[in-house]
Amino acid sequence: MTARVIMKLRVFMARHTTADVLHLTLTHPIRPELPEWTAGAHVDLRLQDGRIRQYSLCGDPSDRSKYEIAVKLEALGRGGSKWIHENLKEGAIAHVSAPRNNLPISAAAERHILVAGGIGITPFLSMAKTFKSQGKNFIRPYCALAPQRAPLFSSLLDICGPRLQCWFSNSGPRFKPELIGHYSPTTHVYVCGPERLLDSVKTHLADWPEEQVHGEIFQATLDENFKAEPFEVTIASSGQRLVVPADKSLLDVLRESGWALPSSCGLGLCGSCECSYRDGVVIHRDKVLPISRRQDRMMPCVSRARVAVTLDL
Amino acid sequence: MNFHASSKPLPKMVEAFDHPAGSVALSKRGGASGWRGKLLHIHIAPSASYEMEELSEAECVAGRGIVGDRYYFGSGTYSPKPDVREVTLIEQEALDALSRNDPPLQDGPIVLEPCDHRRNLTVIGVPLNHLVGRRFRVGEIILRGGRLNFPCKYLEELLGKPVYLPLYNRSGLNCGIERGGIIRPGDTVELLEQ
Repeated sequence: MTARVIMKLRVFMARHTTADVLHLTLTHPIRPELPEWTAGAHVDLRLQDGRIRQYSLCGDPSDRSKYEIAVKLEALGRGGSKWIHENLKEGAIAHVSAPRNNLPISAAAERHILVAGGIGITPFLSMAKTFKSQGKNFIRPYCALAPQRAPLFSSLLDICGPRLQCWFSNSGPRFKPELIGHYSPTTHVYVCGPERLLDSVKTHLADWPEEQVHGEIFQATLDENFKAEPFEVTIASSGQRLVVPADKSLLDVLRESGWALPSSCGLGLCGSCECSYRDGVVIHRDKVLPISRRQDRMMPCVSRARVAVTLDL
Repeated sequence: MNFHASSKPLPKMVEAFDHPAGSVALSKRGGASGWRGKLLHIHIAPSASYEMEELSEAECVAGRGIVGDRYYFGSGTYSPKPDVREVTLIEQEALDALSRNDPPLQDGPIVLEPCDHRRNLTVIGVPLNHLVGRRFRVGEIILRGGRLNFPCKYLEELLGKPVYLPLYNRSGLNCGIERGGIIRPGDTVELLEQ
């Protein structure tokens, strides 16, 4: 768990890069410099009702005066992007956390392959800028519907030049994971986009060491086979017992009883709400906690327990 | 837009002189007297983790806290735990020492601005460590020292600076509000009779 400060940033610029992608430039109303970040980082953006959405920073990490994010309007989404498109006009105030990086550039790699799909391009804009400024070797396949619908396409073309390889899914050959090429111990692959893209690349690279394949998704996991069951939680420090009904998360129940646990995505992706447990069988449903730490750590936003669990709170 | 509307119950505050530290100190004599200090800055944060915001004046409510602050609303990181958290203070002298790396407990100087340390009031010339179990005034309000503040790892994480060890024993004072009112930077801080 890492606590991050939340800032009230001003929307300095809001413009559409495609019909459904809003590019926001955010500045601090008082401080000249924002907290530093590295390529691949994301911020949490708070909606009015307290829900949180995560967006990769797509600007230049060396420019501390502003943050840039690109928000795709998800017509069938959970309402967050719609609220942002309707409310975050120029001059509005956005509640934004300091950045966190779950998709950092590997210092060990000599060659970097970036695979982006759709709005998943955003972290790669900052990564491509970093690679270019460091003179690093990188290539990037890119999948999108069509050039005019590809968000921030021209910005990326400016940075990458001929290095940019595109596979537009409505014309010509489609991107295939085979294009990534043969295994090399100094090549790292980064994937960002829809879950099916991540899955197809990870499946294709199943023989590669886990630490050489990096991916990030910002969407809920739909696990139709999972049926939540109620369970009981005991707070180790006080002995307090709480019941988590089937239709509520452990995090919700903890909050209702007054525990202000940090949390962010509510989807088991960001790792903010991580806490320790003992004496229980936990059903881990998050996508962030490494297997090696699941024996005594859990993400209460999505993970549950069989019958009962004791939390180290 | 109200991002901080809270349906949470009111925070459970411990009365400063009921706190184990405050109640014991209340019965002991001693401590610095005859000093006269000054309030330099007032800061509040609307919710846990939010950046602190500076105020040019603040309304303090007895038994509750500073209007607009996370511990007034019950939305602070530590709000679920009953404690003395109506108002927190820190000495400018402690921040100055940190900026000189005195004592040299970390790699180098740490500059902790008044908007960064997350205590409500930054004061100068006020021996906070002597004020547990004591009454003192800040302008027109009266505070009761309940317990010494203790540095937290949460602050280190939030700031990304190793402040835990250097703040040890000079992290400030947690107070209850005996008499509320309006305070402003520049207000005099003085010890009162028990």
